[in-house]
Amino acid sequence: MNVEQRTPGVPVGGFPGRWEPRAVVAPPREGPAPLSSEPPLLLFEQVSKWYGPVLALNQITLELTGGITGLVGANGAGKSTLLRMANGQIQPTMGRVTIRGVDAWDWRARRLVGYCPDVDAFYEDLSGRRFVWTMARLCGYTRREATRRTQAVLERVGMATRADRKLRGYSKGMRQRIKLAQALLHDPELLILDEPLSGIDPIGRQELLELFQSLAAQGKCLLISSHELEALEKLTNHVVIMARGRIAAVGTLPQIRDLLDDYPLSVRIDVAQPRQVARLLLHLPEVLAVDVSPPLPHETSETLVVKATHPQRFYQQFGHLVVEHGLNIRRFEPLDESAHAILGYLLGGSGKT
Amino acid sequence: MAQTDTLLRYRPWRGVPQGPWQAAVALARVSLKLLIRRRLMWGLFALALLVFFFFFYAQYLVVWIENQLATDTIRFAGVPVNAKNLTRFLDRLSLNGTEHTFGNFIWYQGYVLVIVLALAGSVLIGNDFFHGSLPFYLSKPIGRWHYLLGKSLAVGVLINLLTTVPAMVLWVQAGLLYDWQTYYFNNLSLLLGIIGYGLVLTVTLSVLVMATAVWLRRTVPLAMVWMGLFALLPMLAGWLVDATKDERWRLIDLWNNLYLCGLSCLQTDHATIRPAPQPDFGLAWIAVGLVVVVCLAYLRRRIQAVEIVA
Repeated sequence: MNVEQRTPGVPVGGFPGRWEPRAVVAPPREGPAPLSSEPPLLLFEQVSKWYGPVLALNQITLELTGGITGLVGANGAGKSTLLRMANGQIQPTMGRVTIRGVDAWDWRARRLVGYCPDVDAFYEDLSGRRFVWTMARLCGYTRREATRRTQAVLERVGMATRADRKLRGYSKGMRQRIKLAQALLHDPELLILDEPLSGIDPIGRQELLELFQSLAAQGKCLLISSHELEALEKLTNHVVIMARGRIAAVGTLPQIRDLLDDYPLSVRIDVAQPRQVARLLLHLPEVLAVDVSPPLPHETSETLVVKATHPQRFYQQFGHLVVEHGLNIRRFEPLDESAHAILGYLLGGSGKT
Repeated sequence: MAQTDTLLRYRPWRGVPQGPWQAAVALARVSLKLLIRRRLMWGLFALALLVFFFFFYAQYLVVWIENQLATDTIRFAGVPVNAKNLTRFLDRLSLNGTEHTFGNFIWYQGYVLVIVLALAGSVLIGNDFFHGSLPFYLSKPIGRWHYLLGKSLAVGVLINLLTTVPAMVLWVQAGLLYDWQTYYFNNLSLLLGIIGYGLVLTVTLSVLVMATAVWLRRTVPLAMVWMGLFALLPMLAGWLVDATKDERWRLIDLWNNLYLCGLSCLQTDHATIRPAPQPDFGLAWIAVGLVVVVCLAYLRRRIQAVEIVA
């Protein structure tokens, strides 16, 4: 089990506007059952947070036990508040946040958490190395150990050769790496990363994605908030989607997509004899409609755009159909299964975050 | 701290992380380093050093003149002058190794100290709040009070470097200028008094710096409030005492209250304190205690409700 929305999918109504969001709760990810009754790594229990009259988080219940989880949502959805609360930076107005059973507000809980904030307000007079070293000392390491760890994490994030320059001379990408280095210092079980890919060049981004994947492979739990959906999709398909202070959906992208009954899946199929195939498809119970579209540029035959409910079942049935009738499929492309499309359906509008 | 070796690719560290109190010391150390990188600070330290050297050499000069002039009068530009008149202008400072010497020294250092602390407050604490660097500190295994303690330690070191330590040097010097065995033995209570005075200053001013820096955050408002506290209120207190003939008005002057507390630590005779009249030592202690309590209550409130919202 990786992430769980512990409260059953309670409708999240009451928002103004045309869209009425609802919590989409995917079944838990398959995986080995926990070996012990150890408390979950991160647990939000009925957490609400008010900033004066503004409700930033509304009855959030969430559990993280491992792997990489993306946290997505529009600006102001409550992502940063959730991350700060997980790190004990702010207290919930109601409810409880715990790290392995210890209240996140307690400083002991932060031994298990590494936090990379979205702000990069450093002491600009310090060098990158000095800054990370100071953070190591705050973690409670001796001078010698702090020096060793500093060197190790700087190498890990690719900053070892540039760490002696003053922070004021760093580019945005270098600052991101230094922030990441200080979060990795104490080898935390849970890494909370707020917009870690912002301002990183494509090569650096790939390096960081590989770093995140290697950390996850070592058993770390990563909670990553990002607006960079393409990058996030490369990293994980497991997401928590937030909207207006509530969790709109939790699960893998295909699971969430499967539960969006109101928005049938669109699939483009390039096949020989499209009209005969369209007739076959219309006999499938999951297929709602089949459009025969004119051929694309540089193509000769028409293409099919199929609207189907329950994508997983549709894929299975379509597979049987292909085998049974020996169909020659040239192209099979889901049109709205990406994170962008799912967000669009869940949050309204284009799904832009 | 499992799997250190797998993550950081070196042999696993077998030590136990030191507690948050040690982290507070590390925080204080880096805070001081940040301060001493500023040229303005060095200018202020130089000014404080000038005050110290003035007391140091003047104390030496007074004793030297008294010892060197055998006669009561000397001829100065042909005019006979009483030897004591040569050092009369220094009498007000009581440069004779008594309790007033150290009280006066710390009083005059206060002018520099107030500016240093206003600057230190905005640099060390205000900037963390204003620029949002607090999440870095508070994401580490330390509590809010540990963070404040670390910053207070840095401020405390500054206070003591400017007041207590040089006052102790003056005490040592005074012993060497007179019969040192008698002086040190008879005036050990003065050394303890200096330490007590330093302790009162450290506790009160560091808590005050914390509270005002958390409240105001930026240098200019902070400097203005401190100038109000340590320049405007003393003037106002003087006028009110003159107008109402009630010495208790001096209690609105925090620096004067600290001075009275310090002099009570130095076991000074109340009647000899200038400017007269002065409120009782007890009242000064209560006023200082109130300031500390109010500041701590404010800090506690802010810590309970601390919201790090960008």
